[in-house]
Amino acid sequence: MLGRDGFGIRSFRILSGIFLIVWLVLPLLPLAIWSFAHGWFYPSLLPNQWSLKAWEYALSDTAGVIDSLWLTIGISLAATFLSILVGVPAGRALGMYKFPGKGLVELLILAPVIVPGIAVVLGIHSIFLYIGLNNTVTGVILVHLVPTLPYMILVMSGIFANFEPAYEAQARSLGASAFKTFWYVTLPAIMPGIVVGGLFAFLVSWSQYILTLLIGGGRVVTLPLLLFNFATSGRNDITGAIGMIYILPGAIILLLTARHLSGRSGAVGGFGQI
Amino acid sequence: MVFFLQSVSVGAQADTVDGDQLVGQPWDDIVSMAKGGEVNWFLWGGSDNINQYVSEYVGGILKNDYGIKLNRVGVSDTVEAVNIVLGEKESGVTESGSVDMIWINGENFRTMKQGGLAYCGYTETLPNNQLVDWDNAAIANDFGVPVDGCEVPWSTAQFAFAYDTARTKTPPKSIEELIEWIKANPGRFTYPAPPDFNGAVFIRHVFYYAAGGVENILGEFDQAKFDEVSAKTWAILNDLEPSLWREGKTYPTSINAMNQLYANSEVDLTFNYEPAGVGLNIENGIFPPTTQGYGFSDGTIGNTNYTIIPFNSPNKAAALVLQNVLLSGEAQYQKALPTVWGAAPAIDVSRTSNDIQAKFAQIKAHPNVVPAQELAKNSLPELQASWVSAIEQGWLANVGN
Repeated sequence: MLGRDGFGIRSFRILSGIFLIVWLVLPLLPLAIWSFAHGWFYPSLLPNQWSLKAWEYALSDTAGVIDSLWLTIGISLAATFLSILVGVPAGRALGMYKFPGKGLVELLILAPVIVPGIAVVLGIHSIFLYIGLNNTVTGVILVHLVPTLPYMILVMSGIFANFEPAYEAQARSLGASAFKTFWYVTLPAIMPGIVVGGLFAFLVSWSQYILTLLIGGGRVVTLPLLLFNFATSGRNDITGAIGMIYILPGAIILLLTARHLSGRSGAVGGFGQI
Repeated sequence: MVFFLQSVSVGAQADTVDGDQLVGQPWDDIVSMAKGGEVNWFLWGGSDNINQYVSEYVGGILKNDYGIKLNRVGVSDTVEAVNIVLGEKESGVTESGSVDMIWINGENFRTMKQGGLAYCGYTETLPNNQLVDWDNAAIANDFGVPVDGCEVPWSTAQFAFAYDTARTKTPPKSIEELIEWIKANPGRFTYPAPPDFNGAVFIRHVFYYAAGGVENILGEFDQAKFDEVSAKTWAILNDLEPSLWREGKTYPTSINAMNQLYANSEVDLTFNYEPAGVGLNIENGIFPPTTQGYGFSDGTIGNTNYTIIPFNSPNKAAALVLQNVLLSGEAQYQKALPTVWGAAPAIDVSRTSNDIQAKFAQIKAHPNVVPAQELAKNSLPELQASWVSAIEQGWLANVGN
């Protein structure tokens, strides 16, 4: 009996796993095919002709895709790093302590997720103009913090809500310095949250379009901007090629951090506990 | 990390923000002022052919002959670039604008000119200005708005239709025939909804037809005339709606969406303000190779597109050099080659050197593109921009509701 049930649950798991993979990967298939297609019209199931032209253009200097790829990686890494820097202490304060006005602070932190980015960015645009941050990479990194921080702080406050501060006290009483306590006790305990929150922050920054366009003034050309140029102009082949390059870093990071995303991870478990 | 956190300033290098000072200067002085600088050109970035022409051909000339770095900034819609300049003006950025040049015409030009966003009065300073026929009203007026030295022409274009010879034997050849054809072939035609540029031009063709000829509606905006003609136009278009693609319940939102409907045999006709696009689309695998461009016997609308320099561009000398290069016979010839782009020149070719004239004469148009000379036999002017926007608003209120 027990074996049968176990078998049933297992095959259900495998089936749902296959379903999820198909669900996520299948839409990418036409994109990959398009990038090698030269003319692909209904009702043909496959392109009439195959070609490397789209890839040749996408990898050429004119297209600027490779430069843009590095720039986008740099911006997203910087935004992730700054998110962690701000998000860890903020998450600790929200997850572990009660203080007056906490509800308001939580609401303000969540606000960028609720208020449309375009409304926020117009105000930021005029402020950035005065301090000369428009059209700069720095300005773009800073404005990406608006959508990335809520995710980081939410994840970290969930982690700290389950964090036992007595471990820190113990380490201190045994003579560890504040830094050592953080490095050897706190950091390992909150690492899953940093990884998951950082992953969210990276992917959110990675996919920004309108914030980058307005603050970057069209001069900070990240991959979504390049992609949109071709997606709106009907060049499915070039869109496919740039699209394949675009999903690469996200997929790699997802693979590297996959074990932290499993249901057993503290980061996912504590997500709703703000 | 440190690199990215540093403020990557894009301020002026060879600061030539004072445009008045450049007017009438010897050309060699302007060229030497521009040397070593950069120029940021904002233009629609959705065509790899145009991108390659601009970055590789034009960018190469600027770099090798003038020591200027050309930054091609691709935008999805020209209005994005206009809005940047507008935002800078409102915020008091008058000397260090981020846009040095925009590919522009029509409503966007009107916005720039009326809003005082354009650098004006310098065209005589460009040596290649002599190749431009400013006596031609279609060059001297941009959608009915006098250019007044605020922009320099780049290309001319004329609206053309296209059909698939494998699917359609006899395409409609006038607006009147088209209306009958749509009713006889329900579901096989549609047009992009404004504010799509090409969809709006199609609606103006119907508007001209309803007016009984464009000569009846040229000149200043006339409300009484507009009310009369627009009522007829909306009646025609609403009457057609049940025979359109998806019974006219929805319209494609862009010309590219409609091109895909056409390529996938959902509709049988497409059109474009850039007739050479048919050739490029066939070469790029967007259109079936049996696509053929053609014009209408009652004419199609033509326009000129331009490049403009914003008032707050800090690199005006470099922008002038760029404009002068674009106007040169050699650059206009390259642009006209069907393998490069196929755009019709905005200069008067008869004013160029014999060598360039001979080259132009040898251009073999793409066989599936309707020749510009043939289209030009039946060319209709654009209306003034005030008419154009009134027609767009009217369509949204009366047809696209």
